[in-house]
Amino acid sequence: MLKILIPSIFLVLTAWTTPKKQLWSTTLAYSLIIALISLSWLVNPTETGWSFLGPHMATDPLSTPLLVLTCWLLPLMILASQNHISPEPENRQRMYITLLTSLQIFLIMAFGATEMFMFYVMFEATLIPTLIIITRWGNQAERLNAGTYFLFYTLAGSLPLLVALLLLQNSTGTLSLLTLQFCPPFPLSSYADKMWWAGCLIAFLVKMPLYGAHLWLPKAHVEAPIAGSMVLAAVLLKLGGYGMMRMMMLLEPLTKELSYPFIIFALWGIIMTGSICLRQTDLKSLIAYSSVSHMGLVAAGILIQTPWGFSGALILMIAHGLTSSALFCLANTNYERTHSRTMVLARGLQMALPLMTSWWFIASLANLALPPLPNLMGELMIISSLFNWSWWTLTLTGIGTLITAAYSLYMFLMTQRGPLPKHIIALDPSHSREHLLLALHLLPLLLLILKPEIIWGWTA
Amino acid sequence: MSAWRRVHAKLRALRGVVPSARDTHRHTWTVDGSLTLCRSFSTGRPAQNDFFKDLEAQLAAARKKMVDALPGSSWTPLQVNPNLPPERVDIVIVGGGVVGWSIAYWLKQRDGMREGHRVLVVEKDPTYSQASTVLSAGGIRQQFSLLENIQLSLASAEFLRNINVQLGVLNEDPIDLQFNHSGYLFLANEAVAHIMEENYNIQRHAGAKVSLLSPKRLKEKFPWINTDGVALASYGLENEGWFDPWTLLNAFKRKALSLGVIQCCGEVTDFTCSKKYMMTADGDLEPVKRIKSVKVQMPNSLEYQPVECAVVVNAAGAFSGKLTEMLGIGSGPKDSIAGVPLPVEPRKRYVYVAHCPEGPGLDTPFLIDYSGVYFRREGLGGNYIAGASPEEEEEPDVSNLEVDHQFFEEKVWPALANRVPAFEKLKVTSAWAGFYDYNTFDQNCIIGTHPLISNMYFATGFSGHGLQHSPAVGCAVAELILDGGFQTFDLSAFGFKRILDQEPILERNIV
Repeated sequence: MLKILIPSIFLVLTAWTTPKKQLWSTTLAYSLIIALISLSWLVNPTETGWSFLGPHMATDPLSTPLLVLTCWLLPLMILASQNHISPEPENRQRMYITLLTSLQIFLIMAFGATEMFMFYVMFEATLIPTLIIITRWGNQAERLNAGTYFLFYTLAGSLPLLVALLLLQNSTGTLSLLTLQFCPPFPLSSYADKMWWAGCLIAFLVKMPLYGAHLWLPKAHVEAPIAGSMVLAAVLLKLGGYGMMRMMMLLEPLTKELSYPFIIFALWGIIMTGSICLRQTDLKSLIAYSSVSHMGLVAAGILIQTPWGFSGALILMIAHGLTSSALFCLANTNYERTHSRTMVLARGLQMALPLMTSWWFIASLANLALPPLPNLMGELMIISSLFNWSWWTLTLTGIGTLITAAYSLYMFLMTQRGPLPKHIIALDPSHSREHLLLALHLLPLLLLILKPEIIWGWTA
Repeated sequence: MSAWRRVHAKLRALRGVVPSARDTHRHTWTVDGSLTLCRSFSTGRPAQNDFFKDLEAQLAAARKKMVDALPGSSWTPLQVNPNLPPERVDIVIVGGGVVGWSIAYWLKQRDGMREGHRVLVVEKDPTYSQASTVLSAGGIRQQFSLLENIQLSLASAEFLRNINVQLGVLNEDPIDLQFNHSGYLFLANEAVAHIMEENYNIQRHAGAKVSLLSPKRLKEKFPWINTDGVALASYGLENEGWFDPWTLLNAFKRKALSLGVIQCCGEVTDFTCSKKYMMTADGDLEPVKRIKSVKVQMPNSLEYQPVECAVVVNAAGAFSGKLTEMLGIGSGPKDSIAGVPLPVEPRKRYVYVAHCPEGPGLDTPFLIDYSGVYFRREGLGGNYIAGASPEEEEEPDVSNLEVDHQFFEEKVWPALANRVPAFEKLKVTSAWAGFYDYNTFDQNCIIGTHPLISNMYFATGFSGHGLQHSPAVGCAVAELILDGGFQTFDLSAFGFKRILDQEPILERNIV
């Protein structure tokens, strides 16, 4: 664990000491090396237990895929930000890289935490660099509003979590996951226990986000710069899912009844946010709502608490992380050329940038869960486990899948096909950097088809 | 009970701390030195009510402050100039005349949602003191010789007739354009009668309701005309006349604002562009620019806001040439594309208001004589508006909008009195001058992109018929931007290409 953390901490130092001319290439190479070393976490000798165990941090088959995704994302974020940050003064560029790296450090510590309290502190700590990135480097005046929504939604959700964790510490004497997994189920029956149950989960449901508490996400995603959008979509939302998965084992037997409304919220959210996607004019907003839709499915899968549900949720989280991040990068390539996020002003790009169209195509197909991509595998496992729980969920998830396909195709056809407007005839050709960025997003996704064992958690 | 006593005690304490209005009143009386009365003259209201009324007012103020601070309101802790345009919009329309607002309306009208693409209209003079729109004579006619012009006028007339269907806003007053359907009457002498006949055929073919009148029929219809020298007259029967340009401008503006267009009072002083060089077929390197942001300067201030945008529409009318110069069009080497400037410049035209009680009656059309003089009825009080196009060599100075009354005496009145004998006895009551956004190349509009600026659309150079074409041109430009090509009207003949190829499309018989 430390072999990744300490290099990440030193990456912060590197960002401040490298000469300006080599800043971006050095940090890119450094973070890529960290990412490649982090792949060693995937080798898991103990099939069901904790590996790389230390007093405070460890990895297990649930956190490993998320850890690797986090480490993989940093070079991609640096690659994506290179162009739009380059006109800024030197110190601000260094600050930007520092914020991204510190975000990675907090995320590694969060996913690798063995103690729930450390996870909580790191969960909160990730808010600060993200808030700074959104409000300082965002594009327009609404970013202040977006930052406020983002911060206060998450904080308001996580305050009950703090109280719940302290209560748990009081009653069990420990918050370490290593010991809590062996605890007998708690006798939870009173009204206060139900509040405690809700307190444990609200923070993560807001983070996921669950449909009713999702308002911060479109704002934050749209106003954030590209690296902010990438890390939000790919990893920060998964913090919520991961936290829920960890808390689930402690929350028996209340979950059987109390999760009912949240499952319904999640499933309804898939359809509602999917329908909203069909009416969006802003490209980034469309991708943001599509994130809410997919994470609704993840939330439902986790709340079902079956092995297939958990497995499907984890696979979908990883696959969605890569896909959503790739879509945001594609939207950014559009934005850097036309300076507009409105889809109707940048249409027919297949005529102008045909190679980018192939990336758009693969990313849209991944978004609509085309077999044999892991997106589909995750969705299928969740849908099956939901069906097992209740036949009626099939209507909601079926319509949800249909709408997902509809808006993914809508996004592809709106941006790539159609008449090319007169004002985007002379565009910059696609840079190799952009091709590399998208390849690094979508190649792992395609490779995961061949070895899904790494991302399906404990069902070995 | 004790609670009330506590309140009383607090009241007494408070009265010492917070002086009520009555107390201060009392104080001023003693300071004045006049005979003081310890009783005020107000029919006594006990102090308690004052306190609670103050409390209510204070609570209401506090509640208002809290509501302002909540996310839904537009209050921010950093109070910036509210007139500043947003930092990023999708489409910037430079020029808030009737063409600019028409384009803004059509752009937002198409998507039907308030939250679609963002459109900003930048106008440097909200009083419109020099704008061509409001200084125009306000006429609309289909009697052109170019098919596109006829189609634009026909469509615009249709739009204006149903203006409340198109531009009506819920719960607001209906629009009254004061559209006088009195028609245009063109007079031709022997030399140009054949042109008039050819034009008549084109107009009829396009669907305009025009009729040709012989001098005898002309005299029968309008007895006040002196038909000496007139060989043929062309009279518009439908969809021609004049209307109030200010009302049209405000109607477009009101509807566009209700659809979510953002407006800003400021002047575009600069553009930030990205430039790259492309090789033409002849092997020359031409600089192709892409506008990244528009610098909007606030009026009478050093403050400016760079507005990042995807598309810029140049609807600046008479000042379009100046705007295009900022992008370097016209300042390249002579034989390159960059060396060809936008051929739009302001030309001053005078309009004189005359009162003539014995003049022609209510059915007076907008009469345009072959000598270039024109007049029309204005209102119902025997007033007429008259003017003439000056010769090419005698173009007036465009640095101001001063009126040259000598021009009326020497050029307009004699021709007018010759054509309408009743006008011998007219009296000029007022006059004004306005600019034509005159296309020096062929006096027809320029619509479309420029080859060297990727994302600027022109909608300018109307040379005197911008107002009458504005609804249709707005629709065409909106389709061009959003659909990638003309759908309803094919205005590709008006592209910038003809200026580069030096192939003018001229109207015959224009005023």
